[in-house]
Amino acid sequence: MFGCYAATWTHVNFGAGLLLLALITVGGAVLAGAYVERLCFAPHRGGSAIAAMVASFALWMQFEELATLVMPRHLYAFPLLVERGPLALGPFTLRVDALVTLAVALIACMLLAWTLYRTRFGLAVRALIEQPSAAALAGINVPWVFVRVFALASAMGGVAGYLVVATHGQITPMLGMWATLKGLLAMMLGGLGSLPGAVIGGLALGLLEAHSQWYLGPQMRDLIAYLLLFVLLAARVPWMTTRSAS
Amino acid sequence: MDKAALLLSLVLAQTPQADLRCVPTGEDFVYDCTVTLTRSGRPLEGARITVGADMPSMPMAHSTRPAKATPGTKPGEYRARLDLEMLGEWAIKLRLDGPVRDLLVLHYEFDSKGASPSKR
Amino acid sequence: MDDYALGVLTNIGLFSFIALSAYLLLIAGEMSFGQQAFFGVGAYAGGILTALYGWPLPLAALAAMALGALAQFLVALPTLRLRGLYFAMATLAAAEMARILFELLHWRRSIDGELAGPDGTQGFRGIRWIFEHGIEPLHYLGIVGVLLALVVGLFLVVERSKLGATLRGIGQDPELAAAVGIDVQRVKLGVAAAAGALAALGGVLYAHHNTYIEPRNFDIMLGVHSLAYALIGGLGTAFGPLLGVLLDIGVLESTRFFQGYRMIVFGGLVAVLLVFRPRGLLDERMVLWIRQRFS
Repeated sequence: MFGCYAATWTHVNFGAGLLLLALITVGGAVLAGAYVERLCFAPHRGGSAIAAMVASFALWMQFEELATLVMPRHLYAFPLLVERGPLALGPFTLRVDALVTLAVALIACMLLAWTLYRTRFGLAVRALIEQPSAAALAGINVPWVFVRVFALASAMGGVAGYLVVATHGQITPMLGMWATLKGLLAMMLGGLGSLPGAVIGGLALGLLEAHSQWYLGPQMRDLIAYLLLFVLLAARVPWMTTRSAS
Repeated sequence: MDKAALLLSLVLAQTPQADLRCVPTGEDFVYDCTVTLTRSGRPLEGARITVGADMPSMPMAHSTRPAKATPGTKPGEYRARLDLEMLGEWAIKLRLDGPVRDLLVLHYEFDSKGASPSKR
Repeated sequence: MDDYALGVLTNIGLFSFIALSAYLLLIAGEMSFGQQAFFGVGAYAGGILTALYGWPLPLAALAAMALGALAQFLVALPTLRLRGLYFAMATLAAAEMARILFELLHWRRSIDGELAGPDGTQGFRGIRWIFEHGIEPLHYLGIVGVLLALVVGLFLVVERSKLGATLRGIGQDPELAAAVGIDVQRVKLGVAAAAGALAALGGVLYAHHNTYIEPRNFDIMLGVHSLAYALIGGLGTAFGPLLGVLLDIGVLESTRFFQGYRMIVFGGLVAVLLVFRPRGLLDERMVLWIRQRFS
């Protein structure tokens, strides 16, 4: 959200091309991510994950207010990703920006997977997740790894944010809340701590929402998504609850 | 419960109705507002009104200091200066004191030109 | 005292109820992001009963509390076995579901030719029981204050009793509690119901204070705020959440100095305090210290 607003501010005050805005969004996101990481996640590392979560929600409140202070109109137009209309491919009508988003998402996931499984950095991350103390003993610079993980995560967030805002053509301060909820939902559906899970969760959520909205309307769409999450959690479905996260 | 409904209906007929017209001043997000108050179709005079505002989509997020309204030129008219923090949809709360005690909530969309009733 | 000050004080009282509701669950070891849902249940139920069916406020409040207790009980039943983060997510999901249900709620009744009642996203206006019965703002503040005092008193009594020790025991170390023979599930369900009733009480009082409620009033922000009040104010005593509410609404909202920066300051305060004082300002250690100093 910070990234998107930084880009909007740039756009409103200076006017800028698509690529520059995308870069600013990602850059802004990384900056915000660093701030959040330092204040919320680093201090609580050994301790309670929930404290970190509450703290991060608190920082979200800060960002929301900051956005309204700097950009006081409730709604701003954001340059669209793609100007041309939808493509017609046989019996299907496809929105170009949706296709771009999907393509970027898949590429990002592949890049992420490559990073995690084929680089030293990725090895360090996986080692830390499996056996934190052993990893530290093996000489891995733990804080530095976390900083980079966060930067990566924030960058992904920035990319996602940019695509969302550019597709919708507008931005409001409610973006932060929306992104948080959807992100949490998708992640939980796919299973905490699993990369393929997050991807599947995101796709599944998207499919579920699109179909629910088509047949039942926007409110049922959200209701069904939350209901699904609640039911899955309550049933303590194994893939969702095995990773210890307390 | 019928008696209650009757009582309710009697009281509701006497509910004050309010209308709001706002004009932007030079300053950011400060508006000069005129409230027109009527009850049962007639202008309601002598009311002490405090005008407050809250943003429905971001509840509790803004602290707008309520402004006391002063009587305007015409009967049933009151003026107040509203200092909002943002443009957008606001829930304007009119707290009435005087001949009638009440709290009215109106939804208005505030932009650079003034306020217009929210399309709800 | 002018109406604005009275309004602020009343708000402090109202939000104390939901803060205490979050606090209750916290000391029993559960972090709920969903208390706003039960606050909303109380608000809608109480409003419907007084505005559409002419119930007197005290009766409507009791009914609202019962409904809130039931609702939270039903949510807690399938979820109490979940650990920390998962329970938190479940409460978040449940609360958002509740909010969407409020958006879908249309319960309109014709009162003298005019339709009144909740109208989905348009909200629920005209909850005017206190105006129709000539209750002045000062009196309402008094009512809220007395109820709050009763609740806090109840908390203080429970804290010193065996029940209080049981609750904190369950919060600190559920396995140990179970080993000692406490039926952890049963106690937690009871706590959930109580928390729901508490939040609902706050809600019904809020609805009548405001005369207007809408689904957006009961969103995640409110839930996070109530959690934050308890976490900042302190988990050592029922006065903790009150302190949290006072800090936010009393100091930040009301002073000119923080105008426009309230959330930034409050959010920063929460994050920082969580690092140094994870159990709040009035945490157990502080309370113990205070007790020793003054005994």
